[in-house]
Amino acid sequence: MKVLEIMERAGMKETNLAIAWIKDAINLVQSQYDDNVATWKTGITKASDSVDNKYAFPSNLLKLKSISIKDTDDGKYKKIRRIVHDPVVVEDTDPNN
Amino acid sequence: MSRNTNLTWVYQVVGRNIELWEITKGGKVETLGDYKIRLPDESVGTQLVYPTETIDAGLMFEGTAYIEPFVVEDPNELTGGSANPDLTDDSTSPDEDSHVNMNRMFSLAIVDYIKAMNADSKGDLQRKEYYMREFWKKSSDAQSNKFGVFMTSPSSIYSVV
Repeated sequence: MKVLEIMERAGMKETNLAIAWIKDAINLVQSQYDDNVATWKTGITKASDSVDNKYAFPSNLLKLKSISIKDTDDGKYKKIRRIVHDPVVVEDTDPNN
Repeated sequence: MSRNTNLTWVYQVVGRNIELWEITKGGKVETLGDYKIRLPDESVGTQLVYPTETIDAGLMFEGTAYIEPFVVEDPNELTGGSANPDLTDDSTSPDEDSHVNMNRMFSLAIVDYIKAMNADSKGDLQRKEYYMREFWKKSSDAQSNKFGVFMTSPSSIYSVV
């Protein structure tokens, strides 16, 4: 549906305001329903300092569905679980020990 | 080499980041070639550690996104009557001729949202609430239309004679 058609149906005359509200509505829909689902991939770095387990959410992500890690044995991405309680280890710069 | 990552990795949400943890059982781990070997000298039970290896494109997020909200083509019309249209992003400077990149039912819900916001700006809260209800009703219909859930109930026993 064109922006103009939406404006006419809603009785709006200000285009910029209508576009701003349409953007708000799309955000609201995408926050509640899985209409436009996307995936983002990023590399994992072997930890060597205190920030090497931190990965930022994609900036245009609205609602998280799942997080997966690549199984390098069979090349498949497998969903991982979220831990509920804070781990006892707060910082780990030597993960092999 | 990471195996059974669904069992050996977990994450935690911290603000706008996630923190990745690997689950290890036992004590010291050494890497031999592509394999990780747990040494028998110490045992500390199950614990969480930072990622122990580098994996190219190893982390995948899946979720809804604000992608191409406005497009040039009508996303609800097939090209040549059979193929899905190739959509061109028109989000940098949308105008009245841009199409909203949603199906028709979601677009009708957006019409109700705009009516609600219009009523809100005029201080007519009763009308706003009415149109917001309509917005959520149409959004729910648009979403449930994708799943095709049909309810059936058994018919009661009857006799012809």
